[in-house]
Amino acid sequence: MGKPSGLVQGTLDLLILKTISLEPKHGWAIVQRIQQVSAEVLQVQQGSLYPPLHRLEQQGWIKAHWSETEGGRKAKFYSLTRAGRTQMEKELANWDRLSTAINTVVQTNEA
Amino acid sequence: MRWLDKLLLRWRSLFRRHDVEHELDAELRFHLQQQIEENLAAGMSAEEARYAARRTLGGVAQIQEQCRDARAVAVIETLMQDVRYGFRMMRRSPTLPGVAVLSLSLGIGANTAIFTLIDAVLIKMLPVKSPEQLVVITWGAKDWPKIVESHRGSTDRGNGRVTASSFSYPTFRQLRARNSVLSDTFAFAGLEQLNVSVAGHAEMASGQLVSGNYFSGLGVQALAGRTLVDEDDKESAQPVAVISFRFWNRRFGLDPSAVGKAITVNGVPFVVIGVTPRKFFGVTPGNAPDLFIPVAMQLRVAPGWAEHRPSLFQANDSWWLRVMGRLQPGVKLQQARAALDVIFRQSITAGLSSLPPPQEMPAIEVSLGSKGLSDLRSEFSQPLFILMIVVGLVVLIACVNVANLLMARAAARQKETAVRLALGAGRLRLVRQLLTESVLLAMMGGALGMVLATSGESLLLSLVSGGETPLALDLRPDVRILGFCLVCSLLTGILFGLAPALRGTRVDLTPALKVTAGILGAHDDRSKRGLGKLLVASQVAMCLVLLTGASLFVRSLQKLNAIDAGFNRYNLLLFSIDGTASGYRSIRLGTLYQDIQARLQGIPGVRSVSLSQHRLIGGSASTAGVEVPGYKRRPNEQMSSWMNWVGSGFFETMGIPILIGRGISARDSETAPKVVVINEAFARHYFANEVPVGKRLGDNTQIVGIVKNAKFNRLQHEAPPTVYVPYLQNLESIEGMNFEARTVGNPTAIVRDVRSAVAAVDRNLPLFDVKTQVQQIDESLVQERLFARLSTLFGMLALLLASIGLYGVMSYAVVRRTSEIGIRMALGAECGEVLWLVLRETMLVVTIGLGIGLPAAVASTRLIRNRLFGLEPADPLAISGATLVLIVVTVLAGYLPARRASRVDPMIALRYE
Repeated sequence: MGKPSGLVQGTLDLLILKTISLEPKHGWAIVQRIQQVSAEVLQVQQGSLYPPLHRLEQQGWIKAHWSETEGGRKAKFYSLTRAGRTQMEKELANWDRLSTAINTVVQTNEA
Repeated sequence: MRWLDKLLLRWRSLFRRHDVEHELDAELRFHLQQQIEENLAAGMSAEEARYAARRTLGGVAQIQEQCRDARAVAVIETLMQDVRYGFRMMRRSPTLPGVAVLSLSLGIGANTAIFTLIDAVLIKMLPVKSPEQLVVITWGAKDWPKIVESHRGSTDRGNGRVTASSFSYPTFRQLRARNSVLSDTFAFAGLEQLNVSVAGHAEMASGQLVSGNYFSGLGVQALAGRTLVDEDDKESAQPVAVISFRFWNRRFGLDPSAVGKAITVNGVPFVVIGVTPRKFFGVTPGNAPDLFIPVAMQLRVAPGWAEHRPSLFQANDSWWLRVMGRLQPGVKLQQARAALDVIFRQSITAGLSSLPPPQEMPAIEVSLGSKGLSDLRSEFSQPLFILMIVVGLVVLIACVNVANLLMARAAARQKETAVRLALGAGRLRLVRQLLTESVLLAMMGGALGMVLATSGESLLLSLVSGGETPLALDLRPDVRILGFCLVCSLLTGILFGLAPALRGTRVDLTPALKVTAGILGAHDDRSKRGLGKLLVASQVAMCLVLLTGASLFVRSLQKLNAIDAGFNRYNLLLFSIDGTASGYRSIRLGTLYQDIQARLQGIPGVRSVSLSQHRLIGGSASTAGVEVPGYKRRPNEQMSSWMNWVGSGFFETMGIPILIGRGISARDSETAPKVVVINEAFARHYFANEVPVGKRLGDNTQIVGIVKNAKFNRLQHEAPPTVYVPYLQNLESIEGMNFEARTVGNPTAIVRDVRSAVAAVDRNLPLFDVKTQVQQIDESLVQERLFARLSTLFGMLALLLASIGLYGVMSYAVVRRTSEIGIRMALGAECGEVLWLVLRETMLVVTIGLGIGLPAAVASTRLIRNRLFGLEPADPLAISGATLVLIVVTVLAGYLPARRASRVDPMIALRYE
């Protein structure tokens, strides 16, 4: 349970890192952002976002702080650390390789 | 600083759990709120919006649990939970854990104490700069080279080869000056008994002659003052000495002004220039010199060493310096050996008219010196390892008991286990919890054991080092020893906890949940009971090994005690005096010893007094070449004999019977004709069919008597062929002497009178090694006695533990079979039959144990062959004795539950179910 449907294993981490790489975001905003940018193709079960967030924090790749939202509520904002940025670059490169490889395989037309 | 942040996070999630949980709550609440607002904005009703938001978020409890797992502290959290639970269980029934902890602490403590000694002697590196670069330089040859006329240090003859530790001074100079493989080459030589006087107060101390580069070579800095340098190591230099921390403490009370103080060493004035660090003990573990004196001072503090030579510094035939070095970076041992060997050969062959025969040509050997010299290692490693094995076996036996007890308890907790399993607890989780409990037990045992080890350490040390001065070893517990204790505890905890934990959690749920706790055991499968019995059988086997070892040691000691030493050991006081340490030489030395002898004769209660170079059963001896005119030498026979230089009345005082001729008397003075007395063994060997008295030995020495054989240096050895020489006729090779006073009553009663008698001759002459001959012999057997006592103690302990184990398992079996027994009796079984039924099981267990134990005992006692006197390791009496004791005690332990079974009242037993 909890795994986002249709997501390749381990890619949720990458999505989170990428999503907060531009600016700090709270959990709800991260979910919204992923769905919005992917034009609703990627459906993240909202609750399943939190365990990875906590794990990434333990690994030192993201850090959290409490601050106010535009609506004036206190929320926990996550942002990328320097180590997290390096990790993201690494995972992006991995992803590129993997997706290219998969694309090549699936798009090869058999003569 | 990333790791620091991480650490803080972990710390927070572990110990500020409530904050973290609270924060997660707030975070999820915010999320819901946000989603609700969004839903409201999309036009849902308030209720709908809330439900929809909860749906999209998912189960809050699950998310929380997953987040906890993600924080990666779950492992530690459950561990702490288990530990808390374990403590609670212990508090509830403290007897079993108490017994377990106590017996484990004894075992672990003893093991740790022994390991501490092993560590100090065998494992620890020298506390100097980069000890791994140090090498020890020795030499070896097939036969003893004739060019080495005298050798001070250690020699070893084994595997058809001699190896020896020391070099001549000229050779050391050559090795030091010409090699390019060692960055430092330094030398030293032990000075055992120095008469050191501080502020007019004389005492014996130990010392070491060291070359000027000794301290710089080892990389040791002075704690106060300075260490020795090459300028100090010249014959013309002012005599200076570096003192050890212990000596500084003992004689100066750590007074900083000790540096610069004048002291006298063997009558020569010296100036203290520095103190070595507290940890530094020289290069031989267990032998810590008090004073370090430049090698160049040898002539002044130990002039006797030169014997007939004008000086040791030019002598090529006297080898007395041990040599160590520090390898240049990148140089291999083999390279160093080859390079040093070239210099060595050139040095020893220079000036010789012909080369020594090839089998006598010594070759350099280089070995790692990071742990210092190995004298102590060879002497103590075997006894320590034997002790460790013995104690290890006892710990194993104790472990088996704890395992059996835990298994019984696991059976009693079967219902609890079944409930937990039924409720969905993972088996692994339960095993982990049970293991945590047993490791907890073991850890508590280990902690208590550590306390026992540190307090029992000095006791063990004095036991192992025997009657001589206790070994100077640094036995303060360090990280390694704590680590050893910890690993020991962990291992034992897992060892005795694993089987019960695995067994205890393999529960067939349906019957376990159905029955009531009381008669649960009746439904156990047989294999479960079989394991307990197998464990007890292994206890019996280990016990047999220990008991056999113990009876061997005891029988060996009995045989040693029954040895006839060849002299009367009772009412004899021994002490040593070294006149050369106070500046007496040759004729004056002889006069001094004669004066003392005469004074002692006058003490009331003294029958007679004599003196000798070697005290009997004192461990030391000399041998010398002899010429026996008319004796046909067998091929390759070394014409040598053991020698003792003795004073007048020696045989009469010691009670050694004179068989033919006369003993040594007062008329055998320096100027009288040279005479010797020989013992039976010498007479038999060299004068098989002749009458030796009146014959000559060498050119001008006459044999005047034959005495009965008496043991020389060790009780265990046969009396060797021995020549007794009047010491007055050989004053040049005499140094310290041992006095023997035969008393009418208790010999220790005259010690005060002896001291004042000696002081009356010379106030500055210290007496040392004062003891009775009986003590002297006891001390020579201290290791044997130690082994006999400890192995008996541990054997008894093992027997007790095994009996308890057997008793426990059989009692448990009887309880479980109560209803069966009841039925049997109701059907007409006799008491005796029931008794036999249970006893038979005991016998079976014991027999299996003996079946494993007997071969194991025969095999393992071979390890102690060289520690036994007059016995074979497979001594039938020892093995059958041990077996008998074991059978009697274990059958007795099994009889008690059997008798209880035979008295079962069928009515009660049947109602039981």
